[in-house]
Amino acid sequence: MASPFSGALQLTDLNDFIGPSQECIKPVNVEKRLGSGVAKIRIEDDGSYFQVNQDGGTRRLEKAKVSLNDCLACSGCVTSAETVLITQQSHEELKKVLDANRAAAPGQQRLVVVSVSPQSRASLAARFQLNPTDTARKLTTFFKKIGVHFVFDTAFSRNFSLLESQREFVRRFRGQALPVLASACPGWICYAEKTHGSFILPHISTARSPQQVMGSLVKDFFAQKQHLTPDKVYHVTVMPCYDKKLEASRPDFFNQEHQTRDVDCVLTTGEVFKLLEEEGVSLPDLEPAPLDSLCSGASAEEPTSHRGGGSGGYLEHVFRHAARELFGIQVAEVTYKPLRNKDFQEVTLEREGQVLLHFAMAYGFRNIQNLVQRLKRGRCPYHYVEVMACPSGGSREGQHTRALPGTRAVGHRPAGWEWEEVGHGRLVTSLLPVVRRLGQGTCCDPCVPSALP
Amino acid sequence: MKDSLVLLGRVPAHPDSRCWFLAWNPAGTLLASCGGDRRIRIWGTEGDSWICKSVISEGHQRTVRKVAWSPCGNYLASASFDATTCIWKKNQDDFECVTTLEGHENEVKSVAWAPSGNLLATCSRDKSVWVWEVDEEDEYECVSVLNSHTQDVKHVVWHPSQELLASASYDDTVKLYREEEDDWVCCATLEGHESTVWSLAFDPSGQRLASCSDDRTVRIWRQYLPGNEQGVACSGSDPSWKCVCTLSGFHSRTIYDIAWCQLTGALATACGDDAIRVFEEDPNSDPQQPTFSLTAHLHQAHSQDVNCVAWNPKEPGLLASCSDDGEVAFWKYQRPEGL
Repeated sequence: MASPFSGALQLTDLNDFIGPSQECIKPVNVEKRLGSGVAKIRIEDDGSYFQVNQDGGTRRLEKAKVSLNDCLACSGCVTSAETVLITQQSHEELKKVLDANRAAAPGQQRLVVVSVSPQSRASLAARFQLNPTDTARKLTTFFKKIGVHFVFDTAFSRNFSLLESQREFVRRFRGQALPVLASACPGWICYAEKTHGSFILPHISTARSPQQVMGSLVKDFFAQKQHLTPDKVYHVTVMPCYDKKLEASRPDFFNQEHQTRDVDCVLTTGEVFKLLEEEGVSLPDLEPAPLDSLCSGASAEEPTSHRGGGSGGYLEHVFRHAARELFGIQVAEVTYKPLRNKDFQEVTLEREGQVLLHFAMAYGFRNIQNLVQRLKRGRCPYHYVEVMACPSGGSREGQHTRALPGTRAVGHRPAGWEWEEVGHGRLVTSLLPVVRRLGQGTCCDPCVPSALP
Repeated sequence: MKDSLVLLGRVPAHPDSRCWFLAWNPAGTLLASCGGDRRIRIWGTEGDSWICKSVISEGHQRTVRKVAWSPCGNYLASASFDATTCIWKKNQDDFECVTTLEGHENEVKSVAWAPSGNLLATCSRDKSVWVWEVDEEDEYECVSVLNSHTQDVKHVVWHPSQELLASASYDDTVKLYREEEDDWVCCATLEGHESTVWSLAFDPSGQRLASCSDDRTVRIWRQYLPGNEQGVACSGSDPSWKCVCTLSGFHSRTIYDIAWCQLTGALATACGDDAIRVFEEDPNSDPQQPTFSLTAHLHQAHSQDVNCVAWNPKEPGLLASCSDDGEVAFWKYQRPEGL
């Protein structure tokens, strides 16, 4: 089966069976106990290992374990990390949690929250020939039917991510800490960390991705409102891509205090589709339910949408904001100039023949390669680059459900996305300190790799 | 068959090491060799003997696996196990590193220039084939990363006149690629070999492709265009490739390299049994089912595995070979009488 992970991840040996020259570089912490020389090892019938000391005493030996995250950070070992990851975060896993909830005593139940990304919603809408709002409402019905308690839309958290990105860019432009490379794509981050570490990471944006902002909002802000601790909430996100599963399992997003992840499970659009099939539900036939909102005041009626590249329009939002903030220029239409190929395009802001802002979008592995090489040689002319591991920036059919033959497929720029000024005005800005507080300690220093979303 | 392949001379090209590959420059006056000693040597004639005119000793941290001259003869590309490909510019006897192509995850196994001189292809143990484009300012940029093979890719070669790329892999297949819109796509997969395909060579017309393998056979594949007279099915507008001849029973070990002389049409093979063989197509053979005869078989051409054979592009019958024993040998091939 072809790997569902992005090309950037596949090339970084994520699922490569170890070649003889490679070694597990992850040291396994073993408690060394003082002993005298030789001991024997006995294997019990159940397969457990016991060390038999010379004086006859026995000690059960622990299996040396390399955790999933160790594997993901490494360049390939004996475990097939991808397949482990997929089993841990799958619709099967969600079903297990929901079943456990049904069987549990009232006080022992977990609050199950699902956050759906606009790209996944758009993909399902195209697949079932519904409009985005109906899709969101019917998905709410479906999820609640199977035991989910709340269904949100991550477009809300994307606002924060975009705002943070905008502010960060202006700050770094003024401080000459350029270029800024966008970081919402975990495939790109994983590749950057593994292969080019020291010279790329300082350039990467420290703004958290919408998925992880949502994680913080749900597990901290929303959980508090429900009078629950973060570990009592099971947070599922629905994303267009498998790489997001990796992002959710990063140690940066693990809450040590409550021993819980900000996002427990990532389902791809395709997996939601499978879930619908397995439950025998036809989405168009469901009654639309009212939409949930993360907090009162957030306009819950229409899921907000964004124009721009399939990834959520980072480039455009940051560009417009920067033009306004830095040069007092109001940009009406953002014009893209394709370069070498359609996945590599640039945007310029000029005034009287002088280039004020030079932005680019680089999607797909080959364009990432060229960008990285230029950076290495100090020849990157851009102030900001929106980088995505997959061609078409994550809005492609690849991981989504396929539109039925004869219907319009979700294209490079999904239909039905309208421009909406970022910000529900005061609501968004008032919530920003909450998000900052939630992310405290991880968002401050642009040079600290652990600040990656 | 006796005396059809005569030794002209030997040079200890990469002492105490393996010599992996050879490449004649387009003018046929220089031979580049590369080896496990991480060096590239350039050989030229002085009277009757071959002497080393230049050594490139800096540039690679590990074995240099292949070298390739650009069609204009002014540049040399070297593919190395250190995961990089260096581009050298020739300035009389000096070579200067113009740029280093990075990006492959691990050992780069092969590099090849397209006939236009604007494109370069590299392939690696990371299973990918990369296509690079060079502009007027000697800037190289990656145009495409192709992940069609499922194993180590051993060799890449360009069609002599079209922008068609072929690759050979440990996955037992040969794949062909062409440009489509702003990207490159795999347009054909040639299956038939039962083991690793080590090398490839196009015939002078570009209508046929020869492949050699660990399965000890050479296969000749022929291109059939859509609407061909022979009724070979094609999908869409892509040509089909069919295996029209298999040479088996001639080699007792893995065949590591194959070279198709662009002047005479003779096929030379480099084998793990230390021998060099030459085949020629029978004069009246059916183009759809060609037959080839063994016209030269030199046992113990080297004292170890022969890694590469290369026909001189200007002098018919002049063949160079190299081996794990570190030596480069020069041969004169003459088609035997009466064949």
